[in-house]
Amino acid sequence: MSPVLARLNSFSAGLLLSCATLRGADTVEFNRDIRPLLSDRCFYCHGPDEKKREAKLRLDTRDGATADLGGYAAIVPASPEKSELLARVTSHDRDEVMPPPKAKKSRFTAEEVATLRRWIAEGARYEAHWAFLPLRDFNSGDSIDAFIGARLASDGLALSPEADRATLIRRVSLDLTGLLSTPEETAAFIRDHSPDAYEKLVARLLASPHYGERWGRHWLDQARYADSNGYSIDAERAMWPYRDWVIKALNDDMPFDRFTIEQLAGDQLPTPTKAQLVATGFHRNTLINQEGGTDAEQFRVEAAIDRVNTTGAVWLGLTVGCAQCHTHKFDPITQREFYELFAFFNQGEDKNNTGPTVQVVRGEMFGQPVKVAPATPAADVAKLQAAWEAKESAKLEKTAKLDPQTPREKFAELKGAQALLAALRVLPVERTAEEKKAVLAAFEKAEPKARKKTDPNVAAAMIMRDLKTPRPTYLLTRGDFTRPDKERGELQPGIIAALETRNPKPDTRTRLDLARWLVSPENPLTPRVTLNRMWMRYFGRGLVETEEDFGTQGTAPTHPELLDWLAREFIRSGWSMKAMHRLIVTSATYRQSSNARPDAAAKDPRNLLLARQERLRVEAEIVRDAALSASGLLDRRIGGPSVHPPQPEGVYAFTQNAKKWATDTGPDRYRRALYTMFYRSAPHPLFGTFDAPDFQTTCTRRIRSNTPLQALTLANDPAFLEIAQALAARVVRDIPRDDLDARVRRAFQLALCREPDADELAALTDYARRHDLAAVARVLFNTDNFITRE
Amino acid sequence: MNPADQHLREVTRRHFFERCGVGVGSLALHELLARDVHAAFKPQLDPTRPMHPRTPPLPAKAKRVIYLFMAGGPSQLELFDDKPKLRELDSQPPPPSLLAGRRFAFLKGTEKLVGSRRKFDRYGQCGMTISEMFPNHRAIADDVCWLRGVSTDVFNHGPAKLFMNTGFQAPGRPAFGAWATYGLGSESDSLPGFVVLQSGPRGPRAGAALWSSGFLPTSFQGVPFRGKGDAILHLRSPDGTTREGERDFYDTVGTLNRARLAATGDPEILTRLNAYEMAYRMQTSAPELMELNQESAETLALYDVKPGESSFAANCLLARRLIERGVRFVQLYHTNWDSHGGPGENLNADFEKVCREVDRPAAALVLDLKRRGLLEDTLVVWGGEFGRTPMGENRTTLGRDHHIDAFTMWIAGAGVKPGFIHGETDELGFGVTAGKVHVHDLHATLLHLLGFDHEQLIHRFQGRDFRLTDVHGKIVREILA
Repeated sequence: MSPVLARLNSFSAGLLLSCATLRGADTVEFNRDIRPLLSDRCFYCHGPDEKKREAKLRLDTRDGATADLGGYAAIVPASPEKSELLARVTSHDRDEVMPPPKAKKSRFTAEEVATLRRWIAEGARYEAHWAFLPLRDFNSGDSIDAFIGARLASDGLALSPEADRATLIRRVSLDLTGLLSTPEETAAFIRDHSPDAYEKLVARLLASPHYGERWGRHWLDQARYADSNGYSIDAERAMWPYRDWVIKALNDDMPFDRFTIEQLAGDQLPTPTKAQLVATGFHRNTLINQEGGTDAEQFRVEAAIDRVNTTGAVWLGLTVGCAQCHTHKFDPITQREFYELFAFFNQGEDKNNTGPTVQVVRGEMFGQPVKVAPATPAADVAKLQAAWEAKESAKLEKTAKLDPQTPREKFAELKGAQALLAALRVLPVERTAEEKKAVLAAFEKAEPKARKKTDPNVAAAMIMRDLKTPRPTYLLTRGDFTRPDKERGELQPGIIAALETRNPKPDTRTRLDLARWLVSPENPLTPRVTLNRMWMRYFGRGLVETEEDFGTQGTAPTHPELLDWLAREFIRSGWSMKAMHRLIVTSATYRQSSNARPDAAAKDPRNLLLARQERLRVEAEIVRDAALSASGLLDRRIGGPSVHPPQPEGVYAFTQNAKKWATDTGPDRYRRALYTMFYRSAPHPLFGTFDAPDFQTTCTRRIRSNTPLQALTLANDPAFLEIAQALAARVVRDIPRDDLDARVRRAFQLALCREPDADELAALTDYARRHDLAAVARVLFNTDNFITRE
Repeated sequence: MNPADQHLREVTRRHFFERCGVGVGSLALHELLARDVHAAFKPQLDPTRPMHPRTPPLPAKAKRVIYLFMAGGPSQLELFDDKPKLRELDSQPPPPSLLAGRRFAFLKGTEKLVGSRRKFDRYGQCGMTISEMFPNHRAIADDVCWLRGVSTDVFNHGPAKLFMNTGFQAPGRPAFGAWATYGLGSESDSLPGFVVLQSGPRGPRAGAALWSSGFLPTSFQGVPFRGKGDAILHLRSPDGTTREGERDFYDTVGTLNRARLAATGDPEILTRLNAYEMAYRMQTSAPELMELNQESAETLALYDVKPGESSFAANCLLARRLIERGVRFVQLYHTNWDSHGGPGENLNADFEKVCREVDRPAAALVLDLKRRGLLEDTLVVWGGEFGRTPMGENRTTLGRDHHIDAFTMWIAGAGVKPGFIHGETDELGFGVTAGKVHVHDLHATLLHLLGFDHEQLIHRFQGRDFRLTDVHGKIVREILA
């Protein structure tokens, strides 16, 4: 026995008796009770990372924890009094106590010590981390409501009653399509007394093309999709064909396994289609640095690292990025394994601002390509330009009256025809950027045919393609691309050993192998992570709250059996996302009221057990989409190049390069917000104000803030005032007779999809008398109700 | 407060912790409260007022910060770090031993050493070397603490600016100002707690990521006041409305929101009611703030402000007005210090221009804060994302490349030694020979002055605890008063 133990045993004997009863008769479970304690306070120094390991002791494995440390051991199963661990965590000596004061971790509480003691007394059984264990099997009678109901019942609670029909149709319409139900749709649903009225509604919404837009946006968050390159220059890029591919795939209910494979490795499928190539744009959404003096290799490596991290976060729910610089402190991912994953993505042909593309025209991803006049080949354009330049300079030499002796340094001061002539006098290769621009503008004006090559309906979509000759992969010391660890030797692509259950390991050499492994039945993480995130969109929180971290530092699932059941159903349905949406939104758990439950609040203040639905503020895009759909202004066309709705002046005052923003005046002005041109360095202000991220990296979960800037936007942004005017005009069209009550009621129905109560109607009608209907529409857009899915 | 309100506030508090992902993460609340002084500091946020002022866990010298960010990387060799030896070796190749292991953005290896063309002298009791380019800085030589040995890790503008602001070179982490307001809240209930002002020919590279709240709640992100139009986006009520009419609007929205609160019992609606009232107050307080002609002619002259003209000088004066009104963190960006040589970026006339724009207002800010007693608990920070190389560039006009290993910054005010020179560089200005201050050390020190242990102001995100200083940072004790 160590000296510390000897002194402490007498002291702690009393403590054991008083605390051991705290958890009642349950046996202690390692994953539920012990792992969070050790992970938080011990694993940093006594965990998987060899380099950080203190005293050669590791506590994350049973072998490590019970190893002989020279006559004693950290843990002696069934003998708490012989276990050094307990002596150390209860010590009051600064030099002995664990965690040590310099770690600045909190002490174990008496209750925690008692739990550790019971666990050791019961034999100190370890379990693999829950998320890495295979999916459980289930009974035929299982359902969402059975799992949720059983857990509620154990606390003496039950589900809330179903929400009223008006709330329900607004909720499910916003959740599945991101648009409001019309007053007519709402009334019809309320009148429909058939037993499957709700199921019919769900079927209609899932068949709507707007479903792909709504759920496509969730996916595009994870794909860190944006319309610009990022970093400081942040020039425009045309990745909308990838966005359109996502919308189409979701509307077609492409099975999630195929959806995965096409995006990660569509280019490596036998004879890939153009759509499968466009799908690989998923990993071309990485940033490109166009700043002068950059090292292209550095940003190629940055992009490849981002691809590893994004793949880990999106499919595995793991923070693999931690292992970029050192072996993961908490999860079983070594630094070497990180670079073995990196090896899959280290073969890309693309290198910062160069890389393979494929030409796509608008509508092509939906099978309805628009007709584009054939582009004039570049060589022909050059010939055309040379001929035009000769003709034009001959003409201008006669008419522009520019002294042939004018010195070069004076050229910048010239204007109009003289400036053009001056530029034409300079040899094409010697022209400055301004001179080139002036000549090109005049040429394109004279020869519109030459302009065809920059038709906005045609995009060179960036795709993935690997080098023909593989590039060697080395472990990068501390993640630094200038420090490959060549002594350790070249690394081959490989997957994290802790996640591999098959023996022997599958052959994994290419991105296609990796993608197939991610969706193989042996990998329990992909379906768990995917369904958890789907659940989060419907209830505001995942069954695993830390949806981005299924590792040991993440939270445990509130309903582990339900999560596994959903994951199994997902695979059983053939990875059908629409089937899973239907399963969730038709459950009583989803359909219950979101009103507060004072009776349940004491037992479950955070509503983890779901005795009610949640009220959720809608995302930035949906704030705008809801207003557009209420007003009738919405242009429902799907896909195509990104658009430029009104944007306040001064957005680019803070960016390095000003961007063009030619505000659309036609129907594109009223497209859904997911089509708004997105510059990473300076997004349209609506997005930042309502918590859309800037898509520098993958975003698996948005936060929901509630700020005065949101109030100012909804109250004063001319774009919303324009929509409020349109809502007022629509109301007058719908109710031609001069009946203020009826008109206010109509406006209320259009915006909030329900009937106003007497007080609400009175407040608004009085307000309308003092102001006008557009002012009423403005008030409605500013209510909490309007931007909340109830 | 009546019991019903008290109850609602409690419910709201729990709700806020959960909904906004602040603080708790996987920890239960009781666990959070049980943590001892060694434990992480996670601020207790009032849900209805996330910016409500909070007391930091440790004694604080500084209550607020004004950060003058010199975007582009000012040349320390033309301003503060006089190198006679460099002049002596002008036009000669640099000693190879000094180049080993260093990386540069544009230099190709054939560039020659360039001695400064500027005259230097020593000023103040401390004897700080200041060049003729910054004549107004002579007056503050004994008011500020000079850091001559600052170093960073990154040599491209965007990543280096992110590193200087967020402690990390890729976007996505909270800015210093976001950490500060997360920890301290703000003393203003009618202006944002973290304000960004900008001047110069273009915006700083990396844009909004520089004042992002990262994974912290967006309440803490920097609010850029705009150069054009209203200072705050959408501050102005629609044309044709009156203040009374707008009160009617806010009251009617409030009536409907209270009705919904009664119907649903959702405390989030209470937060929204408060947000709308704050928005209404901002409509009055922000325009009043911008009225620079309220200042005396003497003060305008001190800063060299011409009312109605947006400039770095006007922003310095606005910064003082903002902190007087309780704003916690004001960050000014001024471009363009990127003196590579070549059009618009030479070390001759272009450099003189940016020096003129910055010298007087920056010094005036320190003097003005001092005479008003504000310097006692306000920190002023001056510096860029890196410095510039002892070698010149092979361009048509004089210029220097980015240098990350040794450059100068200054800090003034609360808790730092005035008139103190910290750090030395070698005789050519390549590296730091004593008193090195790495970016993480600077962050640790500034947080210390604000009352935080930099290792303890943390936020759990994606399974790990994040902090401004990552896993680095040492307080620079030598400069503390």
